[in-house]
Amino acid sequence: MQFKQTILPAVLVGSLSAATSLFADEAAETAKELRKQIQELDQKVRILERKSEIDKEAATEKSRTAASVSARAGGFSIRSADTNFVLKLRGYIQADSRFFADDHVGGTANDTFLLRRVRPIIEGTVFEKYDFRLMLDFGSGVTASAANNSYVQDAYVTARFLPQFQIQAGKFKEPVDLERLQSGANLLFVERGYPTQLAPNRDVGVQVQGDFGGAAGSSLISYAVGAFNGVADGGSGDIETADDEKDIAARLFSHPFKNLDVDALRELGLGIAGTYGDQDGSVRSYTSIGQQRFFGYRSSATPATAANVVANGIHWRVAPQGYYYYGPFGLFAEYIVSEQDVQQAGAGTGAGTIASLRHTAWTVAASFFLTGEENSFKAVTPRNAFQPASGGWGAWEVAARVGGLDIDDDAFPVFANSATSATSAFSWGLGLNWHLNRNVKVNLNYDQTDFKGGAATDLLAKGEKAIFTRAQISF
Amino acid sequence: MKNKLSFRSLFILLMALGLLPGALTAKDVTLLNVSYDPTRELYEDFNKAFAKHWEAKTGEKLSVKQSHGGSGKQARGVIDGLQADVVTLALAYDIDAIAERGKSLPKDWQKRLPNNSSPYTSTIVFLVRKGNPKGIKDWNDLIKPGVSVITPNPKTSGGARWNYLAAYGYELKRTGDAAKARDFLKALFKNVPVLDTGARGATTTFVQRGIGDVLIAWENEAILAIKELGKGEFELVAPSISILAEPPVTVVDRVVKKRGTEVVAKAYLDYLYTEAGQEIAAIHYYRPRLESVAAKHASSFPSIKLLTIDGDFGGWAAAHAAHFSEGAVFDQIYQSGK
Repeated sequence: MQFKQTILPAVLVGSLSAATSLFADEAAETAKELRKQIQELDQKVRILERKSEIDKEAATEKSRTAASVSARAGGFSIRSADTNFVLKLRGYIQADSRFFADDHVGGTANDTFLLRRVRPIIEGTVFEKYDFRLMLDFGSGVTASAANNSYVQDAYVTARFLPQFQIQAGKFKEPVDLERLQSGANLLFVERGYPTQLAPNRDVGVQVQGDFGGAAGSSLISYAVGAFNGVADGGSGDIETADDEKDIAARLFSHPFKNLDVDALRELGLGIAGTYGDQDGSVRSYTSIGQQRFFGYRSSATPATAANVVANGIHWRVAPQGYYYYGPFGLFAEYIVSEQDVQQAGAGTGAGTIASLRHTAWTVAASFFLTGEENSFKAVTPRNAFQPASGGWGAWEVAARVGGLDIDDDAFPVFANSATSATSAFSWGLGLNWHLNRNVKVNLNYDQTDFKGGAATDLLAKGEKAIFTRAQISF
Repeated sequence: MKNKLSFRSLFILLMALGLLPGALTAKDVTLLNVSYDPTRELYEDFNKAFAKHWEAKTGEKLSVKQSHGGSGKQARGVIDGLQADVVTLALAYDIDAIAERGKSLPKDWQKRLPNNSSPYTSTIVFLVRKGNPKGIKDWNDLIKPGVSVITPNPKTSGGARWNYLAAYGYELKRTGDAAKARDFLKALFKNVPVLDTGARGATTTFVQRGIGDVLIAWENEAILAIKELGKGEFELVAPSISILAEPPVTVVDRVVKKRGTEVVAKAYLDYLYTEAGQEIAAIHYYRPRLESVAAKHASSFPSIKLLTIDGDFGGWAAAHAAHFSEGAVFDQIYQSGK
C-alpha cells in the first residue's frame, strides 16, 4: 500500500524527469549540429564569394594590362594597356580620272584613269614618347631614282620629349607649304594648287618642332625648324647627290584668336615659312593643274653640245599662308616666292651665264558644306553618313579656287625657250565633293588654265580645260 | 662669293636646341617605390619623413609614388618595364630576377647595403580568431581536418613563400625527412580554401571576409590586424619555429640613370637604415636592425626560433628551384592535393 502511495509516484516522476532531460539534451545537440552546419555553409558561401571576388580582381588586372585592339574610322590599331606602345594600320587609295578638252592634239595629255595615290601607312609609338611613321606609295607612275625612292614617301621617327619640344628625323614633308602639309587624303581639290610646285615636298633631315598653347594642329603657336638635304622646287629626295650643303627650313604658324571667346575667329590660322640653302644640280619643270608641263629649263643629255641649265647657288623661299574656317565655310590662301641661282652650264647661247631667278605662285580656295558640316583643314565627318534607307546622304561640299604661277622674265631666253615654255599660268576651278562618310569621298573638279607665252605648243596656246574625278577611301 | 650654310653650324644649332629638354623639364623630383603587399602603411609614413628630410637637406621637393602587390608579380612588372627607381620587395629572389632577366641592376646588388640590403626583418606567425576556437598552437595544428588555413599563392606572393618554407622547415626539423615534410605541406594546402595573389589579399580574406580559422601571415601584418583592423577580434599565435624573413631593398640602376634620380634614390634607401627610418619600421611592426631601436621595441615582438633561408634552405636560388619553379614541389603538392 505504502509502495503504491510513495514509491510509484517517485518512480513515475523520476522517469518523466529523465525523459524530459534526455529530450532537452537531444534538442541541444540538434541545435549545436544545426549551428555547425550553418557555420560550414556560411564559410562555403564566403569562400565562393571571395573566389569570385579574386577572379574579378584578376580579370580587372588582366584588362588593365592587356593590349587592346580597335577598328574605327581613324584606322586599325593595337595598343598596350598603358598606351605606351601603339601600332596603327592606316592608308588611303585614290582612283582618279582626268579628261581633257582637245586632248587629241599632239603634245597634250591623254584622257586617263589612274591610281593617283595608293598609300599604306604604318605608324605607331614605342616607349611612350617615340612615334614612327612609314608611308609607302604604289600609285600610278611612282618610280624610284638614284636620288629619290618615291615608293617611300614618309619614313621618320619623332621623339616627343615635350609638346613644346620634339625632334623628328627621317624622310618627311619639309615644313613650308600649307597645302603640302595637308594630308593628301584631305585635299579640297583633286590636285594641289601652284604654290606646292615652288615649295619642297619630302626631304631627308632632322627637325625640331613643337606647339605652345594647345595640341598640334590647333595650338596657339606651332613652330618647326629643320636641316635637310635640300630639294628642287616641288621635288622630293632621300639622298644628296649634288652637293654638300644643307637647307634650313622653318615655319611658324599661329591660331592667334584661339583663346578668344569669339567662335568666328577661333579657326583663323596664319603662318609664314621659308627655306634657305645652297643647291646645285638639276632644276625642275612646272606643270599645270592637269599635271602637264608648261615651263621647263633648257636641258640636254649632252651639255657639251647643247644648252643645259642647272641649279648653282643660293635657293631661298618665303611662303606666307593662312586659312579660315567658320561653320561650313572655309577659306584657304597662300603665296610663295622661290629664288634660285641657276647657270646655263651647257653649250650654245648664254653658256656660262648665271642668274638668280625668282618665281612666284599663289592660290586662294573657298569651300562651303551645303549639308552644314563644320569645315576643317583636317578630315571632315559627315553629320549623316550616306545611308539612303535611313535618310543619310553624306556631306556635300562645293569649292572654288583661283591661282597662278609666274616665271621670272629673266628666265628667257637663256635659261628657257619662250617658244615652248609659258611665262605664267593662271587657273580657276570648281569642285563638288561628296563625303559619303568619314572614310569615303568622291570629288568632281573642273579646272581651266590659261598660259602666257609659249604659243608654239598647242597646250600653251589653247590652255587647259580638264575634268577630274576621284573616288577615295581613307582610314 | 657663295653664302654657304655650314653643316657644322647647323649641327651646333640643333645640338644647342637639344639641350632644351633638360631646361624645360626641370621640376620637382619624383621616385617610384615598387614594393610588396603589406608595406603600404610603412612606406606612406616613411615617404613623408624622407621627403621632409630631403627637402631640408637639398631644398628639392620630393614626391614618392608607391606601387604594391604580390612580390613576384611586382618583380615581373619591373622586368616588363615598370619604371621603379627603387624596389623594396619581400624576398631577394624577386630582385635577383630583376637583375638577371631585366638586366636592370648588377647581380651583386645585395652587397650594396648593410645586412644583405635588408634594413628590417620580419617573420611568419599565425593570426587566429578571438579565443582561438580551433586551439591552434603550432604548425601541426594546421593540417588537422576541419581547420581552414588562409595563405596566399607562393607563385605570386613573396610572403606566401616565406609561409611555405617556414612550414616545410618545421616539419623537416621535426622529422628529418624531406618526404614527410612534403606530405605535411600537401596536407596543409588541402586545408587552404582560397589562394590570394598577395599577403594583403589574404589578410582581407581572413579579417574582412571572415573566412578561415587561421591566417599564416607576416608578423607585421598580423600585429596590424590585431591592433588596427579588428581590435579584440584576433589573437597572435607564435609557432615553435618560424623563419627569418629579410625583405630586401635596392636601387634600380637602369631607371635611376635614365631618370637622373641616382642620388635621391640611394639616399632614400640609406634613410631606411638611420635611426629615424628604423623607428618608422618598428612602429609598423617590422623588426628593426639597429640595436638601439630593436632594444626599444623588443617587447613588441615574440621570441621565436627562426630558420634562415641561407642556413636551412641553401639560399633563395636553391629554395626556388626546389619548391617554386615550374613543376617543383609546390606544383606537385598543390595540384595533387586539390
